[in-house]
Amino acid sequence: MNGLTGAREGARAGVAGGLRRMVARAMARDLCAFFVPGMDVARARGLDLDAAGLHRADTPRRANVLLVAGPLPPSLLDAACVAWAQMPRPRAILALGAGEIAPLPGPDVAEDLSQSGLAAGLAALRRAVAAGAFAPEVTDFDAPALAVRVEYTCPMHPEVVSDKPGSCPKCGMDLVEREASAGDHGGHAGADETGGGGRRGHEGHGSDNAPAPSRAYTCPMHPEVVSDKPGSCPKCGMDLVEREASTWDHGRHAGAVETGNGDHRAHEGPGGHDTHDTPAPSGVYTCPMHPEVVSEEPGSCPECGMTLVPKDQAGDHAGQVHAKQQGHGGDSGHGGHGSAPEVPGIEPHFMSMVDMTRDLPASPDGLRMEWIEVPFGPFFPGLPGGLGLTFTLDGDSVAAARAESLVPGVLAPGLPAAELADRLAAQGPLAPAALRELACRALEAAAGAAPPPEWGAARAAALERARIASHLNWLAGLARQVGLVTLERRVAALHQRLRQADAADCARVAPALGALGARVRGTPLLRDRLAGIGQIDGRAAAEAGGPVARAAGHAVDARADDPAYAALGFRVIAGKDTGTGGDAWARLVQRLAEIDQSLDLIARAGAIAEAAHSADLLAELPSDGHAMARVETPRGPSTLHLTLQGGTIAEARLTTPFARLAAQIGPMTAQMELAEALTAVASLDLDPWGARP
Amino acid sequence: MTLAIILFALALGCYLIAVLEDWAVHGRLDPLRPAVSALALLGREQVLPRKSDRLFFEVGPVLLLVAGLLAVAVIPLAPGLIVTDLATGALFLNAALAYVLVALIMAGWGPNGAYAMIGGWRFLGQFVAYAMLIVMTITAVAMRAESLSTTEIVTSQAALWNVFYQPIGFVLFVIAAMGLAWLPPIDLPTGGGDLAGGVEAEYTGARLAVLRLARLVIVLALASATATFYLGGWLGPWLPAWAWTAAKTLAVAAAMLFLGRHLPRLREARYLAVSWKLGIPLALANIILVGVIALVVPI
Repeated sequence: MNGLTGAREGARAGVAGGLRRMVARAMARDLCAFFVPGMDVARARGLDLDAAGLHRADTPRRANVLLVAGPLPPSLLDAACVAWAQMPRPRAILALGAGEIAPLPGPDVAEDLSQSGLAAGLAALRRAVAAGAFAPEVTDFDAPALAVRVEYTCPMHPEVVSDKPGSCPKCGMDLVEREASAGDHGGHAGADETGGGGRRGHEGHGSDNAPAPSRAYTCPMHPEVVSDKPGSCPKCGMDLVEREASTWDHGRHAGAVETGNGDHRAHEGPGGHDTHDTPAPSGVYTCPMHPEVVSEEPGSCPECGMTLVPKDQAGDHAGQVHAKQQGHGGDSGHGGHGSAPEVPGIEPHFMSMVDMTRDLPASPDGLRMEWIEVPFGPFFPGLPGGLGLTFTLDGDSVAAARAESLVPGVLAPGLPAAELADRLAAQGPLAPAALRELACRALEAAAGAAPPPEWGAARAAALERARIASHLNWLAGLARQVGLVTLERRVAALHQRLRQADAADCARVAPALGALGARVRGTPLLRDRLAGIGQIDGRAAAEAGGPVARAAGHAVDARADDPAYAALGFRVIAGKDTGTGGDAWARLVQRLAEIDQSLDLIARAGAIAEAAHSADLLAELPSDGHAMARVETPRGPSTLHLTLQGGTIAEARLTTPFARLAAQIGPMTAQMELAEALTAVASLDLDPWGARP
Repeated sequence: MTLAIILFALALGCYLIAVLEDWAVHGRLDPLRPAVSALALLGREQVLPRKSDRLFFEVGPVLLLVAGLLAVAVIPLAPGLIVTDLATGALFLNAALAYVLVALIMAGWGPNGAYAMIGGWRFLGQFVAYAMLIVMTITAVAMRAESLSTTEIVTSQAALWNVFYQPIGFVLFVIAAMGLAWLPPIDLPTGGGDLAGGVEAEYTGARLAVLRLARLVIVLALASATATFYLGGWLGPWLPAWAWTAAKTLAVAAAMLFLGRHLPRLREARYLAVSWKLGIPLALANIILVGVIALVVPI
């Protein structure tokens, strides 16, 4: 072993002397891995980092090993490059069954995707690190996704943008350098994990997304000069600069002061005039701090006693993104601030929070702060790997949320029908058994053949074992997110025991699972942590499907129509059986109840079908036809529409529960505190793999 | 000489607490682990995040360490074994630890990362929750001792330890101390699962080593303060005085470190609400109760 094979980018600069050798040996003992694509996938693929003696890092900054398990789609490889770039040297890549991992540098050690592969890989890696953590010459690694494009702009004329330095064609000033806002993909991966670049993408946030306001032109030096078309200033001859028209109504602002609601209301200023121009619905008042309080007449808030204000001033600016004032235009409104209290000896608006924040978007709580867009994922600890979640944060509350799958599934036409099950299973590492079953059922439906009843029960049992494993995997992730590290270890160990267990093993694990359920339900403060978070009910819950819908009391379950399940005496468990409502705690209790139920179903079935059986079942694969199959996966119903032509797949349309569940995130997390919003998202148990692009 | 002994005790204490913490987190006792980790950490590259606020980024961890060291300076290891026996020791401890807030906000702001920044500001909210409880419980302790000097607080407990004399204060102080040292389940600024390291997220190499060491010193300072204020400090039969202080400090630290691993991280709003609506009335009741007892029963 001659040290890190990726030495160009992995080793740290330095000649290996006596002390450095000791440090290198310490590093070899202290390996800490950042796991790509995520711990949930690692567990589902049967890897146990604890057993291998490998610590895991929450962020790439803390890691010295990038552990890539299984093949990754290009989008995740780009994100992995960013993680690699963020890791301090010395660092190494351990690839387990990953295949080609460019644009990452070649792996230092490559092994099979298995626990023994992990152990062997780690041993090799320890030797490599001990021998070659330091190298005399090293080169830098730049993640392609992090490359920043520099552009030049005029300080006075922001509309002037150029690729190269020079002077402004309008005023002749030297152009100044700034970072171009990253493209959507680059920005995404660029800020992927630690938030190192987290705030980079937000510069210019306000002006990028602003709706086109009505324009006015003013002189940078003489704000009193206002024109509705471009031109030059009659006083100094400078070019007029564009700014938002400020047509606010002084009378209305004075009125707001009279309602006694603090002075800052009086200064809503240029930002809010779009709504100020439209009269408020007469007689609707609300509390600046409690937007849910609405009253027909003025008065004080029953929650906090503050004076109610007309509704449009209290919170209706939420969601508006206001264009930044250009040049000095922002100060042109001094005349409009006559209502500001003037303190003798202090210049008006000196260090005024109002002036500093008035162009910022307002949130329903009335506090104006700079909104930042923060990515969580695709490798965020405590969220499913491959999930791209972006929160727009207003302070620490969520103003907007966006979730997407970075690992969508694409089934290319022309695939031989016999390979469909394997291909689908490979696409969804978190739910391979359910996808395999789905493929088999679709092919059976196309062939018009039904499996013999004894097979039906065994296949249902395989699906139920996958359900238990999936729920346990989810529980380990949730425990991680809320900081219950001991529970996470215990759940992960049970998950490993059960993942490939046969019916007899399942029966042996059953008491431990029962004890686990009791332990989880009885964990002090856990109910307090989860109750009331991520409430989904009514129609939204019914549409979400799966455990989310059942936790809210909707008895929707594709298994209910399945003859194989009917033969096993299946009965849908819904929220009313568990006695909880549709929040994160209800989902936890629901999934625990489903684990018990699935154990029961496996015991009744008596045997669990092997994955290989499904191919044998279809001795005569259909060559043409169209079919649809539907399976209740651990996260809800998945459907597969299949069109076969000449023994190959002409079209396959897979619908997983991801889109339905992800649609809940926006409304569910609105105005939630960040940690609670993340818990709410985790409680949905999203599986981004194989979702429709 | 005193200073040398205290520094040695401090280093040893920090190491043992690091071993305990590693045990609590990874579920495996490995006495060599902190040494190996520290050595590995020192050998790693120090990354300076883009567009960081260099001053805050560099000063944050150092200020944290200084705050912890100042707090330790007023804790007696044994009679006479104290860096400085200030007449206002208990107050000084509180004043020194106030800089933890400043340091964490600086460390959160410095690296220009969203997770770190949110972590830093979260600690400001956390401060609002724990600060009053720390001060009010110390008040009750000082009332009994009729002094703010930490050595006199210890000797005042000769007849009965404060943990029995004012149990409400003890519980409140430990909870508040866990908030101050951002120990789970109140590790809001660094929450592993929801901020990916938070304030610590962008620190690497030697800077991270300083940050980690500072955190250990703060845990040690608070555990030894708990032992001093409530468990009778060096008082105890058979063993030498320093051994009692050490044993009590380590026991408190172990309890603080292991307790949180079995509890989910608190919701920030809930922590604030409970601290103010329940904690402060209880702390007031504790002060009144201790005042009445001190006047009525001479122990």
